[in-house]
Amino acid sequence: MSVAATQATRLQLSHFGRYAIFFVLAVIYVAGLAVSPAFAEPNYILNILRQITPVGIAAVGVTFVMILGGIDLSVGAVISLTSVLTATVMAGDVANLAPAILLACAVGLCIGLINGIIVAFSRASPFILTLGMGVAVVGLTQMLTGGTAKGIVSPGFREFFNFRVGGLLPNLAIAFLLLVAIGLFIEKATIFGRQLFLVGTNRATAVLSGLAVRRVTIAAYAISGLFGALAGIALLARSGVSSTVAGQGLEFQVLAAVVLGGTTFEGGRGGIAGTVAGVLVLAIAFNLVNIAGLPYQMQLLVMGFIIILASALYGQISDLAD
Amino acid sequence: MAVKTVPGRFAFDRDGILILPAATLIIAALALPAFRDPANLANVVRQAGVLGILAIGQTFVISAGMLDLSIGAITGLVVVLSSALLNGDAALTLPVVALMVAVGAVIGMLNGVLLNTLRLHPLILTFGMLSVLQGAIFSFTDKSVGRTSAPLAMLANGDIAGVPWSALLLLVLAIGGHLLLAHTRFGYHLMAAGGNPESARRAGINIERIRFAVFVISGVTAALAGLLLAGRLGTGYPLAGNGLELDAIVAVVLGGTLLSGGRGSIWRSLAGVLMLAVLSNTLNLMNVSAFVQMFVKGLVVIGAILLNQPRRASS
Repeated sequence: MSVAATQATRLQLSHFGRYAIFFVLAVIYVAGLAVSPAFAEPNYILNILRQITPVGIAAVGVTFVMILGGIDLSVGAVISLTSVLTATVMAGDVANLAPAILLACAVGLCIGLINGIIVAFSRASPFILTLGMGVAVVGLTQMLTGGTAKGIVSPGFREFFNFRVGGLLPNLAIAFLLLVAIGLFIEKATIFGRQLFLVGTNRATAVLSGLAVRRVTIAAYAISGLFGALAGIALLARSGVSSTVAGQGLEFQVLAAVVLGGTTFEGGRGGIAGTVAGVLVLAIAFNLVNIAGLPYQMQLLVMGFIIILASALYGQISDLAD
Repeated sequence: MAVKTVPGRFAFDRDGILILPAATLIIAALALPAFRDPANLANVVRQAGVLGILAIGQTFVISAGMLDLSIGAITGLVVVLSSALLNGDAALTLPVVALMVAVGAVIGMLNGVLLNTLRLHPLILTFGMLSVLQGAIFSFTDKSVGRTSAPLAMLANGDIAGVPWSALLLLVLAIGGHLLLAHTRFGYHLMAAGGNPESARRAGINIERIRFAVFVISGVTAALAGLLLAGRLGTGYPLAGNGLELDAIVAVVLGGTLLSGGRGSIWRSLAGVLMLAVLSNTLNLMNVSAFVQMFVKGLVVIGAILLNQPRRASS
């Protein structure tokens, strides 16, 4: 094969890798339509969007860390902690609404900062580190609450976020889209966004080129912690009921969505647009599992397969493209 | 890099971390009279049995430069399956034990084959496997099922002349594991593959075969740990294995084994297991709530991972 032809094939492959998830999204949506006409109803679609908001917000945050070549598995625990914390501080009073949300965001940000500082200044494996942080945060949540659900949301909080603008689009979904837009802006239009990809592609080169690698690392984990907190608040807004284990296991869904979206464990590639598509694919897949009459628990099984297969597929594509 | 320190002699950068388990043991023994009670000590050893077996398997995996996050879920699956199949029938013990070991081995083989053919990062692969296995456990049951058999309960809780059976089982497995890891060609090749896969490959070592083997060892030890845990619990509790993979990794790390691979010792990992067991027992004796214990465990994980860092000069 001529050089030009080989390069063309590589280009096609890397393009295919970049847009594969949108293709998968289209295919699974059409499959959904074939199985159930409900998928054609705007209400059903927007309901899916409302369902996925907490996981989606958290996945946007984790995407930043994974572009960098890191990972954040403490996000499920952060969602539980901030969700129950918000409800506790609210204590059923409107006056406490703003302080509750601010405190939850601050706590999420702090946990992210601690993760980021440890990763930036040590060579500890972020995988094990954030798993350990997750265990510590779950313990902290139980200590704070005594193990039972605590707190009552402020009146109007749940109602506001579940209000459907024009009878269709829930405010919760608008909040999600807004956060996605902010995430996309940070990724595409800021220097920090470019630096994330540079550090993720080749950390040593980034250090040698004088990039503030540590600062970028800390910022990425802080964003992940903050988005985790926002996801916790969103989860509380969706259900309106406080629970100490609300976020338990959500890190699996988040990781599956991010990896599915093309942001691999190795870092340097992917992005938030892919992650959002990944979250949607996951949500449609779960709905199909339900429609097929399979037990809810099969979701974990499906997610595990998705994590393994998507990682493998993207790995093969990037091997071929290089 | 890893093989320079002379084995057998105390080297601070390698063995300094062993001060932690030793100090935990001494402080607990001095400060808490209840801890020194022989019945309590036997209890500590019994508690350490499950984690000890898991840590033996994980020492193989980590020495080979890999990690296996699916072992907690394998343990949980075996707890549930074995209890459901036995349902208290002692006569079925041997066939069920054999079947469970086979289940563990097959999951390990699956991990090994997927790792080698798909060239996945072991953390992503085994994290995905963890999710699949948890899904399998919960699809099977979401509440406790079945009953373990008398021989397994005996193995987990009984003793002979004051020595717990589970301690003897752990000792036998540890001696076998140590001989395999430190005194066979397979063990040498494993260390070489973990320390520097590329050099090992060029020296003619079949790295794929070694990686396959360590995941099978890991799966089998996880199944044995599950049988012992089922014996302790008496029933198939679906959440029994949750988080055990992290405890096993921490135990190995507390023993001074680098996560980067290329070295590892069963005995040092067991020192790490002992430290975790003593810590948990001490907190229990001091009536510290399970919630605080969980928080402390998280901090221990973070602390251990921070202490466990390759020196900058070595890379």
